[in-house]
Amino acid sequence: MDLLIPIAQAAEGITDTGITDAGKAIALGVGAGLGSIGAGIGIGIIFGKEIESVARQPEMKDELQAIRWLGFALTEAVAFYTFIFGLIAFFL
Amino acid sequence: MSTKRKILLGIGVWLGGAIALGVLFGSDGKNEEFKPQNEFKLDAWIPIEIGGVDVSINRAVFYLVLASALTVGVMVWISRRMAQKPNRVQTAVEVAYDLTRNNITGGNLDAKMAARWFPFLATLFFFIWFSNVIGYLPLPTNTHESIDIFGLQMPAFAIYAATANISIPLALTLVVWVSYHVEGVRAKGPIGYLASWLPPGLEDMNPAMKGFIFVIEAISQFARLISLSVRLFANILAGHLLLLFMGGGLAVLLGLAALGALTFPVAFAFFVLELGLIATLQAFIFSILTAIYLGGATAESH
Repeated sequence: MDLLIPIAQAAEGITDTGITDAGKAIALGVGAGLGSIGAGIGIGIIFGKEIESVARQPEMKDELQAIRWLGFALTEAVAFYTFIFGLIAFFL
Repeated sequence: MSTKRKILLGIGVWLGGAIALGVLFGSDGKNEEFKPQNEFKLDAWIPIEIGGVDVSINRAVFYLVLASALTVGVMVWISRRMAQKPNRVQTAVEVAYDLTRNNITGGNLDAKMAARWFPFLATLFFFIWFSNVIGYLPLPTNTHESIDIFGLQMPAFAIYAATANISIPLALTLVVWVSYHVEGVRAKGPIGYLASWLPPGLEDMNPAMKGFIFVIEAISQFARLISLSVRLFANILAGHLLLLFMGGGLAVLLGLAALGALTFPVAFAFFVLELGLIATLQAFIFSILTAIYLGGATAESH
């Protein structure tokens, strides 16, 4: 951040707090946005594999269902970890 | 008219209506007064301070007491009026009881451990479930704002959940974390328990590498504290934030009335998802992970 301040101050009307706010907004955006990419791919893989497995062995459907929700919740939570750290950066 | 055309027409009316509203009313400019984080602020309703520690009664305490009272009340009420021919409420509770008994406890613990830990695991499940579900009922708890209902000044309706505050999931996690370590030490002894953290198949490895792996495993034990609590907290908090912003918060913040018309159906869809899936799923995940940790700490070999 310190490196950017002199460059930005060359343009008029941009203050130090403005740059800090921009940094915080970027942190939240990257945390919530990029973080969900990985979790999205992971959830896609979980449901795709489950469909594949049920297609191969339909009698395993009930057992796979419980494992699928476990995997879904564990993967989904990863997106929220980054989101929470984004919020911490934004508000604190 | 085919289904596809009906759907396209519906989306067209929705988007067109929002654009028409946007053209009619325009933007009032950014609203600086509205602070979204105030929706999660805890006002001390009854200020109490003991030895410099703030233990005031606030919104989170209210939701915590409400969830505990509901958990105890509903379960005791159902068990008192058990009938041969169950009605709908009894059937629903029986399904949940069956889930906690056979799936969560029975599937991960051996018979002796299951008998000992089933009450704890079932209580965890039902408490978190009630806590999550009452979090989606708008209750008059927002003391920052007040609304006028038939001449009566009431706090504004707001949604909040005990589990949307990090303290409650963290307290539950600490109880779980300490109890599974105690169970592990009780089953294998202190040295045996610590040795059982190492994954199997390392017998031929030199001690330095073993120590390195042990450090990693020890870190992963502490990471469970964060992952278990933050998973529950962040899921519920993110759900509430989404509902807040989609259900009008974004429109108020930006002063764009048309945006509210655009985002409100999204808020409704998220409300159904959160209440129907996430509330139950998070309670299930928290208690099944507790059972898995307990089972892993006491299992003879991996």
